[in-house]
Amino acid sequence: MIAPETMAAGVLFAGLALYALFGGADFGGGVWTALAWGPRAAIQRKALFHAIGPVWETNHVWLIFMIVTLFTAFPAGFAAISIALMTPLVVALIGINFRGAAFAFRHFGGDTERRVPLGARTFEIASAITPFTMGMAVTALAAGRIAVVNGTVEAGLGSWINPFTVVGGVIGLGICAYLTPIYMTVRVTGDLQEDFRLRGIAAGLALGFLTAVQIPVAIWQAPPFADRLLDSWPLALVACAAAGGVTTQILLWRRLFLTAQIVAAGTVSLTLAGFAAALFPDILIGQMSLSAAAAPRPALIAFLTVLPFGALVLVPSLLYLYWTFRGEPDTELPPADAER
Amino acid sequence: MDNVLAARALMGISLAFHIIYATIGIGLPLMLMIAEGVALKTGDDTWHDIARRWIRPAAVLFAIGAVSGTILSFELGLLWPAFMAFSGPLIGLAFSMEGFAFFTEAIFLALYIYGERRLSRRALFLCTIPLALAAALSAVFVISANGWMNTPAGFRLANGVPVDLRPFAALANPAWAHEAVHGTLAAYVATGFAVAGYHAARLLRSRENADLKALSLSMAVATVALPFMLASGDWAATAVARHQKPKLAAMEAHFRTSAEAPLIIGGWPDPEKETVHFGLEIPKGLSILVHRDPNGVVEGLREFPADEVPDPRLVHPFFNLMVGSFFIMAVAAGTYWWLRWRRRELPVGRGALLLLVAASPFGLLALESGWMVTEFGRQPWIIQGYMRVAEGVTPHGGVPLVFGTFFLVYVALTWGLFRLLANPRRTRAGGNA
Repeated sequence: MIAPETMAAGVLFAGLALYALFGGADFGGGVWTALAWGPRAAIQRKALFHAIGPVWETNHVWLIFMIVTLFTAFPAGFAAISIALMTPLVVALIGINFRGAAFAFRHFGGDTERRVPLGARTFEIASAITPFTMGMAVTALAAGRIAVVNGTVEAGLGSWINPFTVVGGVIGLGICAYLTPIYMTVRVTGDLQEDFRLRGIAAGLALGFLTAVQIPVAIWQAPPFADRLLDSWPLALVACAAAGGVTTQILLWRRLFLTAQIVAAGTVSLTLAGFAAALFPDILIGQMSLSAAAAPRPALIAFLTVLPFGALVLVPSLLYLYWTFRGEPDTELPPADAER
Repeated sequence: MDNVLAARALMGISLAFHIIYATIGIGLPLMLMIAEGVALKTGDDTWHDIARRWIRPAAVLFAIGAVSGTILSFELGLLWPAFMAFSGPLIGLAFSMEGFAFFTEAIFLALYIYGERRLSRRALFLCTIPLALAAALSAVFVISANGWMNTPAGFRLANGVPVDLRPFAALANPAWAHEAVHGTLAAYVATGFAVAGYHAARLLRSRENADLKALSLSMAVATVALPFMLASGDWAATAVARHQKPKLAAMEAHFRTSAEAPLIIGGWPDPEKETVHFGLEIPKGLSILVHRDPNGVVEGLREFPADEVPDPRLVHPFFNLMVGSFFIMAVAAGTYWWLRWRRRELPVGRGALLLLVAASPFGLLALESGWMVTEFGRQPWIIQGYMRVAEGVTPHGGVPLVFGTFFLVYVALTWGLFRLLANPRRTRAGGNA
């Protein structure tokens, strides 16, 4: 029987992965809106804007799900993380708020172009800052510079600003920028599909480079993490992630978009799984274990009991949502447009 | 500004801000459901058009509600890590259930808002049912967490640590039922009046059939909920009289324990002199309300240690504002329906419309002030009887700076929202939705 805190940690990881796969793609939408170029820049922006519209609020709830799981199942960890990483989390929150508001304001105005420059700029900048700071905050858990001494958290600026977390932040941003164009290839056709294909391949190269760089940076900056990463399970997951990344590139090259989308999502999940496996069994590497951070057993059991009932409502609803808004990103048009 | 004050101020403005959007997120789905249901049943598409017109501004409000709710869930830890380390396992269950409800709400709201061209009318209507249900449930669950702070349950304290956890008992804490009923119904009243005021204002300019119908619907929702507000408010007050005597005493500005206690309406409490200036006294009123007995003894504030009671100057006026708002809305609703019943045909006069416009903010005002009563009335506790607010706060420095930053964020969002809602046509030009 798996310990309840390990199961809860699995739930937390699932939340992180789902937030990256769904919420991350929405952030990527903002990034590629800012980076849109070429003769079809306006069409690219419009397609991204339409694609984000119906799903971003739902995708965003995975973040709340993570936070709730964290404080319900790992209250001591939640407290320590909140104290140590207050600054990056505040910055991420400001980003989330401005991004949500800017998107909603633009949508209310029915404006997909840059006719509302302030709103558009805010949306783009916030879309980049938020995943970057979140990536930094998540990586800081593994950097080994947050000290817990007699239950008191000691964390200076360097605990979350160092080369390891900065690369972690860029990887966070890279994951978002990687998923979006690949997801979009399935939903659009023609030249636009080619645009997103090339962007997906470019982002894949960038993300592959970044994650590869992070390994020597980890050896240099976060030795305890590097030791665990290059050992048994974590290493196997990293290898699978690398293989997945290469496969995605080949699939994109050969225009097998649907399969590429699935493998790309798998690649990102495996990358995060490699990170999480190296962090395991700690929540703050070397300082606080999951079991030390965990809530008393009855609370974990109650939480894990409620989950399947929640999932019973949630999963079919989510499937209905994504099925309804499949294909053609513009919700005013039928989905079949993109399937011809 | 020290850390505690800054943290309280930040939590306060964050919640005050979020509550407005959350309230509309609870109230409007019910009205959407009714409008779409009536449209489907009668085949009158005006009802459908009304619902679709609400959706445009509502989508923005929902979005701001979602992101400001995210800020709050983080702030629990950023501002009150010690509190969360203590209570996370106990209130976490309520938040988990709220999370699923909110998830469901977000999904069906998206389906309803964006699904016009992709779903049948029947499917659109069917989406509003889980939407309205999930919206109400998310309020009911999240209120359990606040109920627990007021009447903590489901654990035993040993060496300053909660042990023998019973999370479901914590969920079903004594304050939950009355707070959840009172709070959720308040959202219907507040949304009903806010929407009614909007349509009444439009009717003052031009008599459109759609506005008349929307006014009827929103007033119906608010009016049906109003009497239940009175009943659940009484329920809540008698429960507070049992579980949180200092809070009740502060609400009523009742300083000295006495039988035949008067009910004091209005006025300014003076804790130094233990009296209320300029208040209106109803003899034996408080004893009757609390004990259903004019001779009932009601404990006053001085009965409790001075460092364990809330400041009546922060509680009593908000309590009066909440109750007073109720009566303003009751008069407005009574006038509206009486005029409609008297004249049979729909157009109510300018006077009644102006009255509705004037009454429209009082639902939200009552809700905000009722929340102030709950929060200020619990002071100095963050967990009644177990943990003081000052013990829950973060040791991380610079909270005043964080407060200042978020204050500016809220100012910017409010400014943007007002600009947008005040002048939607200008930005809508060239739109495609």
